[in-house]
Amino acid sequence: MNKVIPKHSFVGTRAVKLDAPDKATGRTRYINDLVLPRMLYAKIRRSERVHARILRVDTAKAKALPGVVAVITAADTPEIAIGVLKDNPPLKRDRVRTIRDEIAAVAAESEAICDEALRLIEVEYEDLPTVFDCTEALQPGAPVIHANRPDNIAMAHQFDHGDVAAAEAASDFVVEGAYNVHYVTHCNLGVSCCVADVDVEGRVTLYSQTQYPFIMKMDIAPSLGVHPGDLRVIQPPVGGAFGSKLDVYPYEPICVLLAQKTRRPVKLVFSREEEFVASPTRQPVEFRIRAGMKRDGTLTFRDVDTLLNNGGYTSWGATTPFVTMRTISSHYRVPHVRYRARAIYTNNPYAGSFRGYGNVQATWAVETHMDKMAEVAGLDPIAFRLKNANEPGDVTPQGARLANIDLKGCLRIAAEKSDFLRKWAAYRAGRAAPGRIKRGIGIAASLHNAGGAKIHKSDGCGTILKLDDYARATVITGGSEIGQGLDTVIAQLVADELGLALRDITVVMNDTATGPWDVGVHASRSTYIAGNSARRAARKARAMILDEAAKQANVGVAQLDLRAGFVVQADNGVAIVAIDKLLRQMHFAGEDAKLVMVTDYYEPPSENEDKNHVGDMSAAYSHAAHVAEIAVDTRTGEIKVETIWSVQDVGRIVNRNGIEGQIEGGIAMGLGYALSEELVIERGRVRNPSFRDYHVMTAPEMPKIDMTFLETGDAEGPAGAKGIAELPTIVIAPAVGNALYNATGVRIDHPPLAAEKVARAIWERAQRSTRAAP
Amino acid sequence: MPLAQELKPLEIDAYVDAVSLDAAVRALADGAGTPVAGGTDLWIQKDLGKRAYGRRLVNIRRVAALGGIAEEGGRIRIGALATMTEILESPLLLRAAPVLPATADRFASVQIRNAATVGGNIANASPAADMVLPLLCLDAEVELARWHENRIDRRRLPLAAFFAGPGKTRALPGELITAVSFDRPAAGSFGAFQKSGPRPALEIARVALCIAGRREGRRLTSVRIAAGAVAPTPIRCPRTEAEIEGVALDDAAIARALESLGREIAPIDDVRGSAWYRRHLAAAFLEEELGRVARS
Repeated sequence: MNKVIPKHSFVGTRAVKLDAPDKATGRTRYINDLVLPRMLYAKIRRSERVHARILRVDTAKAKALPGVVAVITAADTPEIAIGVLKDNPPLKRDRVRTIRDEIAAVAAESEAICDEALRLIEVEYEDLPTVFDCTEALQPGAPVIHANRPDNIAMAHQFDHGDVAAAEAASDFVVEGAYNVHYVTHCNLGVSCCVADVDVEGRVTLYSQTQYPFIMKMDIAPSLGVHPGDLRVIQPPVGGAFGSKLDVYPYEPICVLLAQKTRRPVKLVFSREEEFVASPTRQPVEFRIRAGMKRDGTLTFRDVDTLLNNGGYTSWGATTPFVTMRTISSHYRVPHVRYRARAIYTNNPYAGSFRGYGNVQATWAVETHMDKMAEVAGLDPIAFRLKNANEPGDVTPQGARLANIDLKGCLRIAAEKSDFLRKWAAYRAGRAAPGRIKRGIGIAASLHNAGGAKIHKSDGCGTILKLDDYARATVITGGSEIGQGLDTVIAQLVADELGLALRDITVVMNDTATGPWDVGVHASRSTYIAGNSARRAARKARAMILDEAAKQANVGVAQLDLRAGFVVQADNGVAIVAIDKLLRQMHFAGEDAKLVMVTDYYEPPSENEDKNHVGDMSAAYSHAAHVAEIAVDTRTGEIKVETIWSVQDVGRIVNRNGIEGQIEGGIAMGLGYALSEELVIERGRVRNPSFRDYHVMTAPEMPKIDMTFLETGDAEGPAGAKGIAELPTIVIAPAVGNALYNATGVRIDHPPLAAEKVARAIWERAQRSTRAAP
Repeated sequence: MPLAQELKPLEIDAYVDAVSLDAAVRALADGAGTPVAGGTDLWIQKDLGKRAYGRRLVNIRRVAALGGIAEEGGRIRIGALATMTEILESPLLLRAAPVLPATADRFASVQIRNAATVGGNIANASPAADMVLPLLCLDAEVELARWHENRIDRRRLPLAAFFAGPGKTRALPGELITAVSFDRPAAGSFGAFQKSGPRPALEIARVALCIAGRREGRRLTSVRIAAGAVAPTPIRCPRTEAEIEGVALDDAAIARALESLGREIAPIDDVRGSAWYRRHLAAAFLEEELGRVARS
């Protein structure tokens, strides 16, 4: 009984992700591995036309094929529609608007039979006029994509703050710019997949990759004639999501419809080509920016007009302008702001939500523009940003209270660690020197919500926590694990409160039948919200244990602590009683019996935006500043990113492995956006639907990454943590673009900075200067 | 797992696991068989619907006579089944024709190099086939065999004459590539392979260029230049070779060579790059290689 146990914290350590051993040894059964008894396979017949009337669909031959169990079309299904504007029928009745449109679906004994059946379905079309460009879609007389929106404007948003005209009149410089950002897609290694199972009473179990299981129930169930209470969503391990599963897509209701019709479990898996063609993209956006400043570089106003290519239907992507708006209004001190956003229907594939959610695009535009303004002001990129940086205590035009931020710290540390100013001046001077390889350095910073985002009536998450007779804790959370590491973060937070080891904690998640409500995985919110809820539940359990121990030992609760499975004296760590023994005493106590079982629902202290888009919608905010140092081959246009200095305000590190993984992964995704990734869409058709021609970053291309974490300690966040997941993806691309300018004097406003584009720009400039020479 | 999930009905009639050249060419004799070795192109093209199997799938991987990399009487012979990894690691090639291992080093990815064969790279007849370019520069011949009138009928064809168009060769129906062979380059020869693409692995060449010859000060002799992804087949560039042959390389000579190259290649626009960029890159590659010689 004299054992002395020192205080230990798992928070801040390198915790092995709970599911890593299973994943590394191949034991994990992903959703794509799921096989149920009597299960059928399903495939979707998609449109070959980008915009056409459907004259006839004949499924007779497909139905007659041996092994085919059901073929459905819109004619067999109720009039239902999904999507933010309910404009997307899962099976299209009389019209297709994009190349990916679903016309019929087959359930059969094998995928091969499905493929054969799809070929036997006859579809007759009558082509309609097409439109792919936002500006053309806005012209009078342009083809109308949805009859109820004759102007082709799916959604429009605006924000006004202050007096932009007066601010412009008072500006010494006004800088204008246009930035068109491109199509990219998530490239989840696990392709889209679901399994639907309907029981004899019509209750549906949907095995899904969704990131928002609880809200999904309301989004999908009523349209299928199912009560939301009769839909259970189970999320087996997935091979990536990155925002792509933050909506309902046609394949999910189609799979349920086939299961309802066949009364057998049905599994629907995309091919890789389908994944490229028929899963959502990041929104391409056309930005027009005008921004003013005083002679000394102080920003006076920002006036931004954007057009988003919505594609044929409206997914959550059309709401990304809300996040773009935050960047436009709140990233750096901008006293007067005007912002317009219109999401335009076209015959292109439709855009959805994607890590960074509107901020990747916004930060490309704003941070490229900031670099141009710095040059006009005659300031270096660091000094110009520092001059306009937000400070703790600022309330932004949209009402974000930036209580605990350190943008200036991020900028200064990034500049110091990378030796930015010396290199920046030297590389700029080196532009004119001979030599094919030029080096450059660039910086960008960004702002993102780091304490959830209250876009629903609640931004909360629930937890159920119980301890058994052996002092093993089970934490049932509403939060979802999609690979981001929430499971491990929760175990660390709970282990610290309960004085247990990580292996004593089982985190149960990803099932709406057991988990309490949660909004879902988005807005970098899981650690902050689900983590806080788990921690609060653990504190309640801790209080129960300490109360009992204090009663038995006849001391005050404050004199006790829980460490390494024991109740100990807080001051000297001397063990008093093993926690499991105490739990059994509590449990087997006759009429006084107590099981330690607690619940918590955590609602963060944030606000919904009002109708003018003003509101403190996140419980915390955070910045990152990244520096990219590159080498450019001025002949081939190839850019090699050599080093990234990443400085990010993370509040506090919970799992060092997890946070490094998020930042590395975010940088890989961001570099793909900057350099090589582009879904090439020509006249509505995807031209590069394979990893051969769609270039994600590969391991040998990754730069050296130097990470600095600013641990500012958020008062509300769990153990001081902030949400961190999206910032590294958001910030990196403009840092690379600014480095290219530093290296060559060539500015590319429209990413990606693909080798050919860079080579062409450098060559054209050389041609111009040759012609200009006397 | 139910078998039905894996098996597609009526895709092939028979699968032949050939263990001798005799068995392989007999199984292919009627022109209705598809030979498979590494499968790295074939299976993917089949899955994409770009190529269909013949009625018989003939696995040639266990035919010993089709393997090996050896020299005999001053001639180097690379068996059709030699993988890119074997070429990359061959002591003989590293000594005698290092441009081949250097090219293998830029070929696809490690995993694909372990499976992909030189015979397959030639048979696939891609305009962007990497390994074909150094072989063209080595004046290689492709060795073919078929079952004809109850015996194995063999012939050799210059590799440069083997390609008929994208995905098309001049092999006869039922004819199998058995090897590729070339004279051991004279001492003092050099060769260089250049390929576009920032991605160090898994990059299909937007443009590739190979140059080989002998270096005598600032002059090149026995010049061979081959280019990929600039025409319907991998090509030699004889007029550019002649432009360079024996000439003391300076800026003016290099400019003439680049002009000639521009006339000999005919790249297209596609999703991987524009014709302009392909020309720009091909010129950059040749300029870099010739510049190296000029400055020596």
